[in-house]
Amino acid sequence: MGRSLKKGPYVDEKLYRKVMLQNEAGSRRSPIRTWARSCTIVPEFVGHTFQVHNGRQFTDVFVTEDMVGHKLGEFSLTRVFRGHTNKKEGIKSG
Amino acid sequence: MPRIAGVDIPENKKIRYSLRYIYGIGPKFCDDILETAGVDPEKKAHELEEREVSMIASVIDDGYIVEGALRRQTQQNIQRLRDIRCYRGDRHRRGLPVRGQRTKCNARTRKGRKKTVAGKKGVK
Repeated sequence: MGRSLKKGPYVDEKLYRKVMLQNEAGSRRSPIRTWARSCTIVPEFVGHTFQVHNGRQFTDVFVTEDMVGHKLGEFSLTRVFRGHTNKKEGIKSG
Repeated sequence: MPRIAGVDIPENKKIRYSLRYIYGIGPKFCDDILETAGVDPEKKAHELEEREVSMIASVIDDGYIVEGALRRQTQQNIQRLRDIRCYRGDRHRRGLPVRGQRTKCNARTRKGRKKTVAGKKGVK
């Protein structure tokens, strides 16, 4: 179920402040480290780079226009799937 | 046999039902369209006058996305998710359920027919 329109999108306030500071300064160089995975991407974020924590590392996320409306966490995967073990080969060699 | 929205040729059913053969038109849209077009929904499709058919066609043209255009739109939406490399796009790419369903078992619609793994207990 979606979030109530009355409240508007959830945007992490501290993060938002940092973004606005960078916007005012005009420099968009430095990536912003954040743990705020649940923060919605708003239009002001476009063009910034975030380092979104996935529980272990910070993943670089460069925000483009298409990403507006998604959450930061959607771009920083938390699970690694390296495929299933190959049982067939195990039997052949055995 | 009337021809509406390009290729679709519904048959000797009431227009109320035959209109639903068009991709993108279900019960709700069908009734809406017939009302705006001012066509009696209980009339059989082949009994429709030329005027009524064109009326329905123009209503669909103006306010509804159907058939190819709709399929294209859906495909574009999925493509967008893939392109921005987000979680949902990733699930589309791998052919796994996108909306958080379990995949330990079931999820066969997305994963396709069962792929039996050799060497697993009970399969020998």
